This record gives sequence, structure tokens and C-alpha cells, in this order.
Amino acid sequence: MAATTLSAGASRARSGTRRLRRAESLTGWAFVTPATVIIGTFGAAPIIWSLVISFQNNNGLSSVARFVGLRNYEAIRHDPVVTQAIGHTLVYTALFVPGTMLTGLFLAIAMNRKLRFMWLYRTAAYATMAISTISEALVFIWLFDPSYGIVNYFFSLLGLPQQQFLNSPSEALYVIVVMTIWGWSGFAVVIYLAALQGIPPDLTEAAAIDGCGRWAIFRRITLPLLSPASLFLAVWLTINALQLFDEVYLSTQGGPLGATTVLVYYLYQQAFVNFNFGYASAIAYLLFVVILIVTAIQFRVGRRFTYYRS
Amino acid sequence: MRTYRFLHNPAMRTYRLRAVAACALAIISTAALAACGSGDSGGGGGGGQSIQIWEGYTGVEAKTFAKLVAEYDKAHQGVTVSSLFVNNDYTLQKVQTAVAGGTPPDIAYLYGSWAPNVARIPSVVTLTNVVKQPSVDWNDFWVGERDVATVNGRVIGIPALVDNLAVVYNKDLFAKAHLAPPGPDWTWSQFVADAQKLTDPSIKQFGTAYVTPGTEDTVWHWEALLWEAGGGILNSSDTRAAFDSPAGLASLDTLRTMAVTDHSMYLDPTDSAYANLFNSGKIGMLVTGPWDLSAFPNVHYGVQVMPSYPGTDGGHQTISGPDNWVIFNNGSSRVATAEKFLLWLTAPAQVKYFSLHTGDLPTRASVANAAGFDAAMNKSLPGVSTFIDNLGNVHQARPQLASYPQISQAIGTMVVSVLLGKASPAAALATAAAKVNQILAGAGSN
Repeated sequence: MAATTLSAGASRARSGTRRLRRAESLTGWAFVTPATVIIGTFGAAPIIWSLVISFQNNNGLSSVARFVGLRNYEAIRHDPVVTQAIGHTLVYTALFVPGTMLTGLFLAIAMNRKLRFMWLYRTAAYATMAISTISEALVFIWLFDPSYGIVNYFFSLLGLPQQQFLNSPSEALYVIVVMTIWGWSGFAVVIYLAALQGIPPDLTEAAAIDGCGRWAIFRRITLPLLSPASLFLAVWLTINALQLFDEVYLSTQGGPLGATTVLVYYLYQQAFVNFNFGYASAIAYLLFVVILIVTAIQFRVGRRFTYYRS
Repeated sequence: MRTYRFLHNPAMRTYRLRAVAACALAIISTAALAACGSGDSGGGGGGGQSIQIWEGYTGVEAKTFAKLVAEYDKAHQGVTVSSLFVNNDYTLQKVQTAVAGGTPPDIAYLYGSWAPNVARIPSVVTLTNVVKQPSVDWNDFWVGERDVATVNGRVIGIPALVDNLAVVYNKDLFAKAHLAPPGPDWTWSQFVADAQKLTDPSIKQFGTAYVTPGTEDTVWHWEALLWEAGGGILNSSDTRAAFDSPAGLASLDTLRTMAVTDHSMYLDPTDSAYANLFNSGKIGMLVTGPWDLSAFPNVHYGVQVMPSYPGTDGGHQTISGPDNWVIFNNGSSRVATAEKFLLWLTAPAQVKYFSLHTGDLPTRASVANAAGFDAAMNKSLPGVSTFIDNLGNVHQARPQLASYPQISQAIGTMVVSVLLGKASPAAALATAAAKVNQILAGAGSN
């Protein structure tokens, strides 16, 4: 008797739990469905579809697309422009990411103090993020104009030789590096400023009492405590750098003589100028793999230097 | 454990129900959206009397176009022509998406340089027989326009816009340098000499300018030079490059002299700075089109046809970049409505109205040649009459090949490498010709 009641009670409890679980999971689905539908439609579906296209000879115009297996991926291996574009992309990334982080760190430290009108300086620093890329590119085009630009004017005041900048295949990429560092430094400032203000003053005070110099405090306390922010910035900026397009499209269109043709610009050219959608999709997947590898390395290496205070 | 309490709170239960409802709503609305995107393409509902047109007109062009459309709607009871603004640069991309979704516009304004690729879209309507109707008077359209509207003998569009390149010069700078303004018989050696005399590094003044992004804008300026020097881009069967020739060499030498030897040419990597500089009186002469004239309110300018190369059979030529109206198949009744509207829009009366109100060159010769037309045009936009007369100097068109964008890139690299002094004209020609031959050979197998 006692045993049956017990088991009946247990089974009732079990079915209750099951019902509960089902209700729980239904609620869960209800919450995630709208986002899943939207991300699935506008994110996942195009990603899968472009993978399919990368195995096709597809011009994006006619309705028939022939499957060509791995031929697009093989063509990438023999395309000298892809090799050049990868080179330009990596050089750009290697300069842009540290450049932006150092500029951001310098400005954030300079602004992490009590000073009159500090709100104004902070707003000014962040304004670079609010300014549209088109205005940014137009301003830099004139700043770096070989004949009329103010940069060459300052060069002449300093007795330096006049440069061709965007007209020179050996200089154009560096002008774009400078342009984008300026554009992104505001973002780095905000991240670093927030991280700096999260560093408890008692740590630095204690170090100062123990006789630490300012450089030692910065080197031994500030920098390690900023490392999570640094890792975040390094990953975020790298992903953006590898996808560089707007500034190139607006200022040099990949030139002069292909000197600023980065991977995404070449992809755009193949898809929307030459109508090689299959080939462009294959390049997109190459870029995806490059980003995946670079990010994985950053996380692995970064973890060793990142210090989380918890 | 927390979730347990959460679910047994009656208030939370309503919340849960609401969430389920929201989720269902999201699914339904997504489905509805998808249905909007693919299914119903009728729009007008059975009668086939409602058509949509995609165009990129702004400012006075937009106003004039809207007026014409309204006039047509009023005169044709039961027909509604609705126009949608699309940035011209991206219309083909948007058309591609719409075609893939099964809802192309009935008519779209598409750049002429896209024509060979537009012809590959299955729903593009062939107009070859339509334009043969005597009432259309197809030969009244300029030859450059007809060439660009025709791909392998198939007419895929009706000319929407025509332009060409001529020389716009600053009259005050010419007077200051004690130079006679260019006459209709002038030569390229005169152009080069004038450019040198108009150059003054101390005040940063240049004789002329050239755009150097290496895109089609770089390329078509040179193509006009090549034709004037008596050369051709490809052979007559479009199978091999023909520009690695004495004419090619002469044309590149002209550019090289100004850019590298004389430094009389401002090289504009952005494709936009030159217009501001000309308007600021910093550039003596520009080879450009009628669309730029309205950007020069601050200078006293004149317009002359492009110079020639004496001793060649090229004469004074120019290049035209016409654009097309293209019809897409949304069922025979809508195609018929679209055709009827387009033929009305491009008939002489409407072409004349549009040109007079916008300053755009007339797409029909009969309109250009009508008495008093030139003078009326010049009144609203000084200098435009030279561009109208110059339409008679359009003898050739760019190759109508699907692989032209790649060919253009090879030529763009060639021109820029010469302008920047990175390659000699002869070497640049040989490299580009080899590249173009490779593209043409590859295109066959594609």
C-alpha cells in the first residue's frame, strides 16, 4: 500500500516535472524565436547561400548557375591579385590595430584626470566615431592632396620633400592607415577610459607609498589591469581591419595601380563590377578562414597576457 | 529553482502566454513579409495598367521627369506609372536582387556600360522588333546610343541619356597667359603646348587635369584619344586587343608629356577634386562632359571640341556614355504598357521638353537639329551647344562585351602606370594588350 502510494506520488511528481520542463522550454523558445527568425533570414541564410554560390560559376544575372566544384577556390591560388590583396590587408591590419590602440591609450590616459572642460575633450575624442566615413574620406583626401593639401604645406615648412600620398603606389596604403586610425581612435578612447576608471585607486596609491615610480605603476599595475580591454580592442579592431572597404572605396578605389586593393575591395570588384559572384563568394570564404585563424591566435596568445581581476 | 517559481507565478504565466503569442506573431509576420517579396507581382490587379519605373533623377531632372509622368497618367486613363528613386550607381545590383526575388521593376534606368551584362538577365525584354516600327524612327537616335542599346544584334534598351567629352577651358586664364582660345581645328600638340603655358607651380595652377583611380572614368578619356589618333580598342571581331599600335603609343605619349615631362597635368586620384579646382580657377583646361558645366559657376568658361592628331584619319572624335531604359518581363500586358510609355517618353516632343528643362543633351538628332534649339539650350546652360554639336563626332562605341569591365581594368592600370611615370608607354601597352588578350581568350570558355 505504502509502496504504491509512494510510487504513484513519484510518477505524479515526475509527470509534473515533465510538464514543467516542456513549459519551460516553450518559454525559452518563445523568447528566442523572433531573434532566431531574423538572424536566420538575414544572417545565416545568406552565409549558407554564399557558400553554395562559391561552388558555382555564377554571374548573378542569368538564372542558370553551373556547379564547378572547387574551381573557384583553385583560381584563387593562381590569382596574383589575391596574393597582393592579402598582403595589403595584412600590412594594413598590422599597422592599424596597434596604431589605434596606442593612440586610444595615450588619449585615454591624458583624459583620465580631473580638469576643466574635460567633457569637451572627451566629446571631441569620441566625435571621430560619430563623423560619417564619407566626410572623413573627403577631408583626408584634401589634407593629403599632393598639390593643395595642408600636410604637404607643413612638410614644406619643415623643409621636408613633397610627397605624392594618394597618387603614389608606395604611400597610398599608409594614408589610409592614418585616416582609419583617426576614425577609430575615439572608439579605443572610450573603451580604455572606461577600463582606466575601473582600476581601484587604492592599488596605485599603495604602490606609490611602496616607492613605485609613475612608469613602474603604469607598467606593473595599470597595463595589466587594462589587459581585458586591450584583448577586446585587439580582436575587435582586427576583425574590422580585415574587412576594410569604405575608406578604400571612397578615397582610392583600390588604386593607384592596385596599391590599396584589399581583400574586401577585390571581392566587391569581382562581384559587382565583373559579375563573378562565384569567385567573389569563394574570396569571402577565404576571408572568413583568415579572420577565424587570426582571431583564434589572438585569443590563445592574448589569454596568456590577460589578467582578470575577479 | 528560480525558474520553477517563475513559472508558477500567475503573472508570469500570462507573460509566458504573451511570449508565445508574440512568437507566433513574429512567425506569421515573417511569412507575410516573404509572401510580399515573392508572390504578388500583379500590383495593378489584372488590368496590367500599373507599372513601376526605377530611376535616379535628382533636382531639376526629378521634377521634370515627374511632370512628364503625371502628364502621361492624365492622358491615359486607367494607366498608373509610379516611379521609384534608386541611386543610379546601384540600380543594377538592386535589379539583380529583385529579379532573383521574382519582382523586377517594369522599367529601369541602367548605365550603358552595363548593357552586355544586362543582356544576360533572362527577364530583360527584347525590343528589336519594337524599335523597327516606323513611328519610333530608331535612326533618329545617335549612333553611339544605338550601339550601346544593342548587344549582339539584340536591342535591349531605349536611349535615356547621352553625353560626350569635350574641352572646357577657363577664358580668363587663357587671356592672362596671352593665349588664343582653342579653335575648332586645334590639335593635341597645341593642347600640350597650351597646358604647359597655363601651368604655374608658384600659384599651384595646372594646364589640365586627369582622373587616376584607374576606373572606367580613367579609361574612357583615353579611349577617345586613341580613336582620334586613328586606333581601335579591339580588332573588328572583338577577339584580340588592337590598341598596342602606333595610335596607342601616340595617345599615351601625349598624356605622358603632360603628366611626367611638363608636370602640367593635375592628377586626381579621387575623381572629384578636379571640378572644384577648375571652379576655383586653378586649372586651365578640362576634358569633361556636359554634366560638369553646372559645377563651374565661378569661372568664365568656354567649350571646344577635343583636339585632333593631324596626319591620322581619326579627326575630331569623342566618346559617348549613353544610358538605357530597360524593360523587364512582368507578364505580357505589363510589358505592353511599359513599351507604350517608354516610346512616348522617348518621342521627340518629350525629349525636347526634357532637354530644355534640364540642360541634358537631346537623345534624338531631330531635336538637336531643330531651329533655335541650340540657342535655347545655351541660354540655360552656357556652352552646352558645343556638346550637342559634338554628338556628331561620336563615331565609335566601347566594345559591347560582357568581359568589358575586366578589359577596362587592364586599360586603367596601363593609363595610370604611364601617368604616374611607373612604365613607358610602349611597355604599358604591351602588358595591357597581353592581359586583354588573356581576358578575351578566357571569356570564350566561360
